[in-house]
Amino acid sequence: MTSHFTMMVVFSLLVSLVFTFIAKTGAKERARYFLYLFGSFILISIAVGWLMYPFPF
Amino acid sequence: METDAVQQEVSAPCVELSASQTALACAAAALVPGLGHAVMKKWDRAVVFFVSIILMFFIGVGLQGRVFGPDFTDLFSSLKFIADAGAGLLYWMARLRGLGVGEPTAYTYDFGNVFIYVAGLLNMLVVVDAFDIARGRKS
Repeated sequence: MTSHFTMMVVFSLLVSLVFTFIAKTGAKERARYFLYLFGSFILISIAVGWLMYPFPF
Repeated sequence: METDAVQQEVSAPCVELSASQTALACAAAALVPGLGHAVMKKWDRAVVFFVSIILMFFIGVGLQGRVFGPDFTDLFSSLKFIADAGAGLLYWMARLRGLGVGEPTAYTYDFGNVFIYVAGLLNMLVVVDAFDIARGRKS
């Protein structure tokens, strides 16, 4: 596993899962919250990645 | 019908445990991810926390991240140790078995470190969650 994207997806998946089970009860509410968190992780990571693109790091 | 089932699950009564039971649940949660919830028979949370945190820790080790030892010479070293050690027995088992030596020249070294830090930090949150459940603040 050396792809940045794969590592980010695995990280987001596991962290979202733990946060969901800490914060919510009830299957439906958990499913909704998990998708919201997971989606936010992925979208914000990609957006921040693109914003950093011009910087010469 | 389904709404009733969800409603029942959401409004499950909060039960306050005794101080010794609370201490036992927190200690168990601090040692093994999810064990504190298993002690309180919160099986769904116990399984998710156990699997997620252990997976995260070992993915970090697999990505050639380093399990930092007790080093209090500067602030960042201390914070790295505290974050890693939050994983409980996992951390000490990895240290004793010589896992997580870390390879700073590896492409995935930093990613591995982040996975290991976050596994420990998530376990700290899980201990707080176990405490809240044991004190009857949440179901």
